[in-house]
Amino acid sequence: MAVDFSKLTVNLNGFILENPIMTASGTYGYSSEYNDFIDVSKLGAIVTKAISLTPREGNKHIRITETKAGMINSIGLENVGIQEFINKKLPVLKENNINFVMNLAGSTLDEYLETAKICELNKIKAVELNVSCPNVKSGCLEFGTEENSLYNLVKAVREVYKGFLIVKLTPNVTSIEKIGEAAEKAGANAVSAINTLKGTSIKINRIRGKFQKETVQGGYSGVGIKPVAINAVCRLYKVLNIPIIGIGGIETLDDVLEFFAAGAQAVQIGTANFTHPDIAEKLIFELNNYIETNGFKDLDELKRELRE
Amino acid sequence: MIQTQNKKIYKAVAETVKQVSSSSYFIEINCGEKINIKAGQFISIYCNGLTLRRPFSVYSNKNGKIGILFKERGKGTKYIKSLKTGDLIDIIGPLGNGFNIKDKKSLLIGAGIGIAPISFLKSQLEERNITCIFAGGFLNKNEIPIGINIDKIYTDDGSYGGKGSIIDYIEGLINEYKPEIIYACGPLIVLKNIALAGQKHNVETQIAMEKVMACGIGVCRGCVIDIKKDNKIVNATVCKDGPVFSGSEVVWR
Repeated sequence: MAVDFSKLTVNLNGFILENPIMTASGTYGYSSEYNDFIDVSKLGAIVTKAISLTPREGNKHIRITETKAGMINSIGLENVGIQEFINKKLPVLKENNINFVMNLAGSTLDEYLETAKICELNKIKAVELNVSCPNVKSGCLEFGTEENSLYNLVKAVREVYKGFLIVKLTPNVTSIEKIGEAAEKAGANAVSAINTLKGTSIKINRIRGKFQKETVQGGYSGVGIKPVAINAVCRLYKVLNIPIIGIGGIETLDDVLEFFAAGAQAVQIGTANFTHPDIAEKLIFELNNYIETNGFKDLDELKRELRE
Repeated sequence: MIQTQNKKIYKAVAETVKQVSSSSYFIEINCGEKINIKAGQFISIYCNGLTLRRPFSVYSNKNGKIGILFKERGKGTKYIKSLKTGDLIDIIGPLGNGFNIKDKKSLLIGAGIGIAPISFLKSQLEERNITCIFAGGFLNKNEIPIGINIDKIYTDDGSYGGKGSIIDYIEGLINEYKPEIIYACGPLIVLKNIALAGQKHNVETQIAMEKVMACGIGVCRGCVIDIKKDNKIVNATVCKDGPVFSGSEVVWR
């Protein structure tokens, strides 16, 4: 008998998720790579790899390194570009009945706007605005760290894109509240927090008194960033009216509950997809099982109790 | 042709870890079912608490047991070395493309731990009665794994077989055996020399590459290398587009 997941439904300010478990941009490709492991259509939603107006080759140097509690990546937004996405990836997502959010990245305001217009034209239901990638030189992160730039960007995108608009926030700021408020004021329907932390790893190989160094500078993710993410969600929850999607180091049901307690309405699983490619589906089952066996009416009741 | 199957997560069982040379170890992993694997394909192993799985070329595949050959290089391989018979081990496989076996007179070259997929390839070529010769390069004789069937051995210090780096013997091997195809795995510098020698002698080369990986399934784009395609240089993932590439398509630096 099929499991009934109806208690897990999340209404994210009009964007309906069958459950609160999403997968984070950059860790799930365009989803088809995960078909061998799980039924991807079961997920609340997947967020695609960042898509830009034109294809990007990404960075040339070493792109990943493991750290004690996670990893650092410096991919540099390598992606197929919006046209290829529309032509090749979108039909597959639709055919497989996958609820998805398109992560949109750009370097300039015009680039964001052009891409957003194409999303509108192709009736892409939900877009996550990437204003926080630490791995590209121009734009992107700059929009995410200064509230006026962010406000102007989100407002401009809002005017050309009518679908569900999520703004993904960076933790690399002094006041995440101000950035979140700017996104809300400009018309975002939700925020997701957090993107990766800026990090650097210098691995030193000692060879008979000489050093061989391998430096990777980029976005730090994984279990080590969870307290930073929880802190961001707590702070945003105090000041925002729009829903918050929590991201950062989630690996277990306890982590998911912790994000709910902090104020998140849904969560995204990121780095853990690499370690355990079936983890997102597992968490859905575990969450559902927890709600069923402990007599909660639904997910909303569970969240309310967690926030008391 | 070997029909390869879809990748899958296996909650498998570890068998005894055996030390097979001064620095390398062999472990068989019992997956409980027969898995079709092409030589050159790999598995990724979850190493107790580490974020990234560790990729290993398949060395043997018999009776539902996947064998890998590894050296203790860091936390991941230290964990694998510590496994005891009966311990659970979480693996994903088979991953990557594997060698595209051709019915041609073959020269197989493995250097260091790179002999693992080449040795596996040799068994698959022999099953098809394809004429092949396997040349292996090592630092010294203590590095040669016991039980491995190599036709020509070279050691850097000359303690076994021909003395010197296998790089110095590539030309000679090609001239002597006149292979129609060369398959190889080993350090980048060895692979580069083999690819260039192949081009010079107009012999097809297939080389298995290695790179630090995060996802192992082509999603994260963390393990890309430059390859030539339609007169352009493009990214290819070692984990999904590879690990086996044509020596002539790789951009060597």
